[in-house]
Amino acid sequence: MDAIDYHALLPEIILAVTVLATLLVDLFTSRKSFAAITAMIGMFASFVAILTLAFCDNLTFCTSTGDRVLFGGSFVVDGYAIVLQGLFIFAGFIVVLMSVGYLETDRYYEGEFYFLIVSAVLGAAVMASSRDFISMIVALEIVSGSGFLLAGWRKGDARSNEASLKFFIIGVLALALLLFGVSLIYGLTGTQVFSEIAAASSSVEDIALFNLGAIFVLLGFGFKVSAVPFHFWTPDVYEGSPPPVTAWLSVGSKGAGFVGLLSVCYLALPSVTEIWGPVLWLVAALSMTIGNIVAIKQTNVIRLLGYSSIAQAGFMLAPFGAAAATGADLSQTFSATVTYLVIYAVMNLGAFAVVIIVGTRVGSYELERWSGLNTWAPGLALSLAAFFMSLAGIPPLAGWFAKFVMFSATIGVGSWWGYSIAIVAALNAVIALVYYLKVLKSAFFDTVPADLDVATLEAGTVPGPTSFAIGLTAAAVLVLGIFPGLAANLGDFSSDFLATLGL
Amino acid sequence: MTLIQFLIVATALFSFGLYGVITRKNAVLVLASVELMLAAVNINLVAFDVYLDDPLNSGQIFTLFTIALAAAEVGIGIAIILMIYRNRQSADVDDLDLMKG
Amino acid sequence: MLNQYYGDYLTVALFIAVGAILVGGAVGASKLLAPKNPGGFKDVAYESGIEPVGGGWNQSHIRYYIFALMFLIFDVEAVFIFPWAITLDAFQAAGRGVFILVEMFLFILILLSGLLYAIRKGVLKWE
Repeated sequence: MDAIDYHALLPEIILAVTVLATLLVDLFTSRKSFAAITAMIGMFASFVAILTLAFCDNLTFCTSTGDRVLFGGSFVVDGYAIVLQGLFIFAGFIVVLMSVGYLETDRYYEGEFYFLIVSAVLGAAVMASSRDFISMIVALEIVSGSGFLLAGWRKGDARSNEASLKFFIIGVLALALLLFGVSLIYGLTGTQVFSEIAAASSSVEDIALFNLGAIFVLLGFGFKVSAVPFHFWTPDVYEGSPPPVTAWLSVGSKGAGFVGLLSVCYLALPSVTEIWGPVLWLVAALSMTIGNIVAIKQTNVIRLLGYSSIAQAGFMLAPFGAAAATGADLSQTFSATVTYLVIYAVMNLGAFAVVIIVGTRVGSYELERWSGLNTWAPGLALSLAAFFMSLAGIPPLAGWFAKFVMFSATIGVGSWWGYSIAIVAALNAVIALVYYLKVLKSAFFDTVPADLDVATLEAGTVPGPTSFAIGLTAAAVLVLGIFPGLAANLGDFSSDFLATLGL
Repeated sequence: MTLIQFLIVATALFSFGLYGVITRKNAVLVLASVELMLAAVNINLVAFDVYLDDPLNSGQIFTLFTIALAAAEVGIGIAIILMIYRNRQSADVDDLDLMKG
Repeated sequence: MLNQYYGDYLTVALFIAVGAILVGGAVGASKLLAPKNPGGFKDVAYESGIEPVGGGWNQSHIRYYIFALMFLIFDVEAVFIFPWAITLDAFQAAGRGVFILVEMFLFILILLSGLLYAIRKGVLKWE
């Protein structure tokens, strides 16, 4: 019962207050935009709080240094937590910016929308700090629960309904599998805290049952990060949900799944890399290959991005697969996944922001309707090119550095586990070029469909908040690509604490 | 102790639940099956907690959280199912086939 | 040690095999042995049973659902107050009684804001 370090909890406290404030502001005011403004102010304040934690050593009012451990090891604020909390709040901020323009196009409930987005951000932020199963699963459910409701936000649209129900059924099934695995691990180690599980796992009586528990946990997270063969819900949910929600699901919700996977594998189960390594090797190889091959024949841009996000999840899982090698440098594979996740989040959010603008202007997300985008909106076409080429991994955009880090980490383990997954990833990086460039070819070199009126299309304007979001993400993609040291620093910062655990 | 009996009951419940999720067509029954799986988890956690004599009782505390989560899930789930039922007069999972590819 | 380890898997394999034989045998035997004689009368309700009319779904008003949901959520959240009450003594002995009291008020305040939302949305009106 020590005193509580409120500074370490400040980002979460601010977010929690923002959640309530967003809901109440919408109840007692008539202007719909107040809720969005409250949400943005809250997230910005929370981001500032994270910055004070990150640069704690240089600040005068900051008394404690190093990693902060709270609640008996259940809640830790270290580099890993800070980087990912910052990422999730940034993602939530961008999604709110995108939604402001989008929600006005139809009769939506607005206040509750922002309430749910901020709740999801809060859940994801807690997820990054939680170091025991109880807080992790509660946080995961805050993220997923708001996701189920957001996916069905277009109440009258049958596709949105369908997306919501599919996402819900898969989500609760994944939760049940995950919890069953957790209950087995708890029963064999007698603790819920990751560091204590890692310490106890070497002396477990029934190793087969422990491995079974680990497999169940991997299965549950497999659904959450939409990796093949647990991916089948992804394209439908992405297509049916309102596009700003899809952007959040592909970055925030998936990111929270990855955070869970990283924490569980590296912090709770480092002693059984021979179990999760090969499983995730296979999952990574399948996700990359199937995601990319199916993406090639997609005609709907949102579905294409859905399959692309499955393939990108495969790239993020590749370092896990390489960790199967005995004596692998786990801090390097860990930092590769974190770096990839950060860069993927930024470029995917940007891609969605552009896709939403073009899609609402043209009135369709079918690729054939998008041809000749360059003639009526050269600026949008250019930013579309930037984000898609970054997703494909073409220098000097940020995506190439993400792939570079991933390759150097997998090859760096110096074993066939690493070489083989690197070969699969290299082949897939080439396949991925096909469909990203297909979109760009259509946008730049094809002629505008005859029934579209170029004059009205040219007259359309980009809503201010959305263009701010596009500008912010585009700048990040360029800066991280040209000065990759920044992203590398983030990755190192996030994995420094592993050294203290002797990994 | 009699841990093994509890684990058998829990595993059986979990399997019934999983079977129900896979085979049932009505969304409400799928939801009920998921609740069976979560109940199995609760039995497991409490049985392990008592068997291990956990000084922190973390298994039982976790069970309280699972119960609250399950209630929240039901609230969300029924709301979604009602929304779908209003729009298309059916809560059949097999009817959800608008999107393909 | 290793023999024991693989022996465990042998048990699992044996279980799966026996399970498959049992289920396959039962289903197969009933397929082979049972006489098949489908007819309209077999679908009719037996003796005093009443012919079912309409679908299995019964319409009830949406307000029942919303009330039930409100009750469920607030009822279940009460579960967290019990462990709090149990640890109260220990916190007071450690001189942090006020802190723990304020924490519970915060928890209830958050729940109440949910109730406030429901009232403002007119959910609790029974017209």
